[in-house]
Amino acid sequence: MSEPVKESLETSDGQKGSTAPAWIFALTLLFLFAGGVYFDHRSGWFDPQVYAPYHSSDELEAYQPKSGAAAMFAEGKKQYGMICAACHGDDGLGKPGQAPPLAGSEWVTTSSFKRVEEIPQLGLTGEVHVGGQAWSLQMAPMGAALSDSDLAAVLTYIRGSWGNKASAVSDTDVKAMRSLVAGHAPISGESGLNAIKE
Amino acid sequence: MKTGFRIFLGAFVALGLSWCGFVLGPALQLGTQGQTTVLNSSDIYPNQRPGDATLGLQVYRASGCAACHTTQVGQDGVVCDVVLTSKGSNPSAVESLISTLKLTGITTKEDADAVSAKISAAGGKSETHIVPTGPDISRGWGLRHSVAEDFLWDNPVQLGSIRVGPDLANVGLRRDEHWLYVHLYDPRANVTNSIMPSYKYLFTVAQATNQFPSSFDMEPTEDGRNLVAYLLSLRADVALHDAPFSTAPAAAAKK
Repeated sequence: MSEPVKESLETSDGQKGSTAPAWIFALTLLFLFAGGVYFDHRSGWFDPQVYAPYHSSDELEAYQPKSGAAAMFAEGKKQYGMICAACHGDDGLGKPGQAPPLAGSEWVTTSSFKRVEEIPQLGLTGEVHVGGQAWSLQMAPMGAALSDSDLAAVLTYIRGSWGNKASAVSDTDVKAMRSLVAGHAPISGESGLNAIKE
Repeated sequence: MKTGFRIFLGAFVALGLSWCGFVLGPALQLGTQGQTTVLNSSDIYPNQRPGDATLGLQVYRASGCAACHTTQVGQDGVVCDVVLTSKGSNPSAVESLISTLKLTGITTKEDADAVSAKISAAGGKSETHIVPTGPDISRGWGLRHSVAEDFLWDNPVQLGSIRVGPDLANVGLRRDEHWLYVHLYDPRANVTNSIMPSYKYLFTVAQATNQFPSSFDMEPTEDGRNLVAYLLSLRADVALHDAPFSTAPAAAAKK
């Protein structure tokens, strides 16, 4: 019974040892190419940060909110990292013997920012109390070389980070402060800070 | 024996390939993920759920909630809103510019950037808001698509796959504690057409000295409290680098 079946299978092929037609290879290559292009455009190259509807990390970068308050905060974070973080720390907790904390500091989180905005402009020497602890250090006028908008961004950043929830500082505020205190000597300690009108 | 070895080899390759695809690949892609910071902020995300919410995750699991509820929000697209914040020193120039601009059909970031560049060239100031879109988001189920970080502290992660009920990824944002207790006890009390079964076993008859009014003399068991604590902790409301959207800054929102 099995003999004729086997024969019919062999003969149904038509010709023995035939190869697949060339157009199948061409079509397969075409599909592979199209698949590769689709993968390149759509996969994000398996970047764990890239989710749909974004197609690539470049596109995701373009859609990061960069204007208004968000941009100011981002700029402040950048400037803080370059200038302030060396002593005050990325976490704003300060470093013993180098700088007092900014996170939760009663000088930073005030409702008015007249005092805190003059510290980076003029520098600060002598003893201040932060969080019940006395700090007797010297801070150079680190922010004096920054532009109005950059200094405002840094101040906004430190007043709104690490649990601080104080209001933002605008570049016109900084401009007004700078014209007021131009040429002033560094603030001397806590009495000097308290002498500044809030 | 030769056939046996081939069968073994075939099965090994087949299972090994699927292991690579389902276990190794995702582990390489997301396995090292940790806490991240909230976009344009120094706040860490996500924080571990409170202790009762962590216990509530197991109640959620035991009660089979994931059989009918998902906890993942999808996002189809993203659009940009250009908001004029100041007309600057030459308001008439900005006004005439805006009247000539073709403002419909702005969808991509390039279009929005072109418009805001024109506005700033005319002396005005504008902000570009990033707004996620999609059916889940227009239903109010979330502010952005879910990302892997949202589930960092969950074991097991219960994404769910069938939406017999609504998505719960942000149920903590839209429902309060009392609503959830009532809904678990009697689903039809809050939602007339709800087909959710009642979870009365998460409640007991309150003692005489209870904090509830006499009209509602049931009180939740410890499991019930933990489950509601878990549901309230489901709130993915912050923008992240991998899920950006524009939020009102904390200081401005206060005013």
